[in-house]
Amino acid sequence: MGTTALKAPKRSGIEATKQFVYRYGLLAVLGLMIVYFTVTQPFFGTFINAMFILQAASIVAVVGLGCTVSMTVGGFDLSVGAAMSLSIMAAAAAMVVGEFSGTVAILIGMCAGLAVGVLNSILIVYARIPDLVATLSSLFLINGLTLMGVGGQSVAKGMVINGERTQGEFTPLFKWIGSGDVFSVPASVVIAATVFILVTVLLNFTRWGRAFYAVGGNPVAAAAAGIRVARYRIAAYLISGGLASIAGMMLAARSNRGDVNVGDPFLLQAVSAALVGYAVLGANKPNAFGTLIGAVFVAALINGLTMFNFPYYAQSFVQGVLLVVALLMSYTLGPSRR
Amino acid sequence: MTVGANTAPASPASSAFVAFEEITKTFGATRALRGVSFEIRPGETVGLLGANGAGKSTLIKTLSGIHPPTSGRIIIEGEEKDFRFPVDARNAGIATVHQNIDDGVVFGMTVAENLLLDEIATSQSSFFIRNRTIVERAREVQEKLDLDLPLNSLIQDLPASGRQEVAIAREISKNPKLLILDEPTSTLSKREAEKLFLAVEEFQRRGITILFISHSMSEVERLCDRAVVLRDGMIVSEHEKPLDSTAIAGSILGELVLASKHEARPGKEVVIEAKGLRAFPESPPVSVEIRRGEILGLTGLIGAGKTELLEQICGHRPLLSGTLSIEGEEYNPKDVSDAMKKGVVMVPEQRALQSMFPNEPLWKHSTIGLAEDFSRSGFMLRRREIAFTEDVIRDFQVKAPGPLAEIEELSGGNQQKLLVGRWLSRGWKLLVLDEPFRGIDIGARGLISSALRQYSEKYPVIVCSSDPEEVIEVADRALIMVEADIVHEDNSANLTAETLAQIMGQGREAQTTRNVA
Ligand SMILES: Nc1ncnc2c1ncn2[C@@H]1O[C@H](COP(=O)(O)OP(=O)(O)OP(=O)(O)O)[C@@H](O)[C@H]1O
Ligand SMILES: [Mg+2]
Repeated sequence: MGTTALKAPKRSGIEATKQFVYRYGLLAVLGLMIVYFTVTQPFFGTFINAMFILQAASIVAVVGLGCTVSMTVGGFDLSVGAAMSLSIMAAAAAMVVGEFSGTVAILIGMCAGLAVGVLNSILIVYARIPDLVATLSSLFLINGLTLMGVGGQSVAKGMVINGERTQGEFTPLFKWIGSGDVFSVPASVVIAATVFILVTVLLNFTRWGRAFYAVGGNPVAAAAAGIRVARYRIAAYLISGGLASIAGMMLAARSNRGDVNVGDPFLLQAVSAALVGYAVLGANKPNAFGTLIGAVFVAALINGLTMFNFPYYAQSFVQGVLLVVALLMSYTLGPSRR
Repeated sequence: MTVGANTAPASPASSAFVAFEEITKTFGATRALRGVSFEIRPGETVGLLGANGAGKSTLIKTLSGIHPPTSGRIIIEGEEKDFRFPVDARNAGIATVHQNIDDGVVFGMTVAENLLLDEIATSQSSFFIRNRTIVERAREVQEKLDLDLPLNSLIQDLPASGRQEVAIAREISKNPKLLILDEPTSTLSKREAEKLFLAVEEFQRRGITILFISHSMSEVERLCDRAVVLRDGMIVSEHEKPLDSTAIAGSILGELVLASKHEARPGKEVVIEAKGLRAFPESPPVSVEIRRGEILGLTGLIGAGKTELLEQICGHRPLLSGTLSIEGEEYNPKDVSDAMKKGVVMVPEQRALQSMFPNEPLWKHSTIGLAEDFSRSGFMLRRREIAFTEDVIRDFQVKAPGPLAEIEELSGGNQQKLLVGRWLSRGWKLLVLDEPFRGIDIGARGLISSALRQYSEKYPVIVCSSDPEEVIEVADRALIMVEADIVHEDNSANLTAETLAQIMGQGREAQTTRNVA
């Protein structure tokens, strides 16, 4: 037993370091990166730039939080980008063509997102199509539908339909989402923060959140413990679609127009934010805080690198590096049970 | 076999097939093994015993290449081995049937493919695999072992006992030099277990070395030449034939605990009435009354329809026929959640598949079905959940680092104690336990039994087990199912394990005796 006593502490030293990196590694890298950029580029650390970064992160964060919720039930929502595009078109058309008020346009946009959630639920829960395949088909269906609905053109003030110029325009309330602020914090940051708080509370502190994770962890055991699995999976896809529509309106309000398929690139960004989030605090599962960090990390990294005149076309590569590092942390350093 | 040049003479008795030398294994702060040394001689069958969490499974995992030891040496046929992967152990002629059966089979593959997994995975077969050849080869294996498995079915469509048989058959068919069996009978019925014992005895005649883990003294007495007892990660005693079961039991627990004999209680008023239920669509209708103040035992072979019947009562599957009532009111559960709202809950038999959430801590497990008791207006009361988990851990002597530990860190028996114990925190109209004693040591079995008896003073309980001994130990009244029919009912005081086994062995037509008290 003497040899054991000598060996044990050495091993646990390595073990402890691994544990630390596993839990705090990504946050530490983020912290160091912010310190480095702040020291080398004085503008980086200003309040204005911080708001730029958060604003850039806000849309990805909102979509990503939706993806996170669908991941907690063991699902995967590939249709969030398409849901964004659809609700952008619906809201823009409501104002430009239908000349509705901003409030009505927002409601219409959200209904469009929820409708995508309903479609996904029907395919997944009732038709029993696997999540990836089902949401991939709704991605194509919804994108196609959006394009057909607007005849392949953008929806903006003064657009021409059947030879007539439309009279409506984006209303001030709607524009506020994109350009307004609350105590000099941009409105989109406020919205994303609110969504973050709501999702965090939902997932971590409520019965619903517990049920979401249980369904994702072991649906058979969840059902045996009296959890109505179908109901929670439907709820998760509705939340995912709903949050995608909110993100869509944040995007439309920024450019004051509804361009075709602008939501598409957000799917991969959001998914990667959620996956990077696995590595935050050693969660090793979808979680709201991690997703937020994942979104902010990318935005801060790109913001800082741009100050060093880093070429824009290398952004994907940087994002890829971040994702690989995060995945290494959660899968390679994580506790192995095999 | 040549002896490696670097092999220091391990011990004078280098005739051992396997020698463990000062094996330790730590998981984080948990010291599962603290210097285990013992030898297994060629051709003998060694029983490895110990309470839940003693380190039995961990020890054999060091030998089968799943968890390399933290320190210490494993010497096989005089040669020091460093098994890093399961395949290393297999190449050294060691075959292992693990405790968690679903670790031993691959879901999504057929039974035949599962039987021949190793051949498929290695170069033993050609690169192109023909389905017909696999089925033919599987049939040969099956004939040699006298099994009757549906070769073309998917493995996940088999009941737990069937999957267990497949996992065992595959290991046996490899013609190993050492066969390790970790609680192989815990999911098998008596009949299936008997088949396994015959196969093991055939092995013994052929001179194959066997390491056998079990909580059942009678199994160990029957099969083993020698018994080694582990307690808290250390060897505490070795016993030679003839095995003294009292001494062994005392050594396992560190104290002598005898199963307390109980009086059969008569039971009070009827709480639940089931009339004309059927286990399967074509089976005869059965009726059962469940009373307050008694434990109703339900026994019968695996496949007799016990689980199917109970699952209908508990909302796990729709009612095939008949009516149910609770305290005179009609009761027809839509699903599990509905049944639980009406006060009926079931502890399912397949622990890993039906009760465990991977990577989740104990405290979340302990309250998963009790969310209503541990939340206020939808918000979970985490502190109360953790306090509750601490209570369960203490009351049921769950060996665990604490409520924050993840469920996989516990040994099988300790998982079971937590998963059963959590339900006794509140009174149910009916609590149904399907095979609650699976993989539980004698000490824990007594503990759960007496907790259940105390709980059942006030609330009705059904305990279902394919082991008649367990039913007699815990129940006041016993029902025996044969071929989906309840053929016998009696006070458990009037019954012995032998009579129960005899009734279960006979066909349904043989007798129908319901000695209603
Ligand atoms: N993967 C793991 N991670 C952390 N702790 C573990 C792990 N596996 C086992 N342990 C711990 O090691 C100890 C021994 O566990 P082991 O599974 O070997 O017990 P056992 O004797 O097989 O018990 P049982 O009869 O219940 O199967 C226990 O305290 C258990 O909690
Ligand atoms: Mg074990």
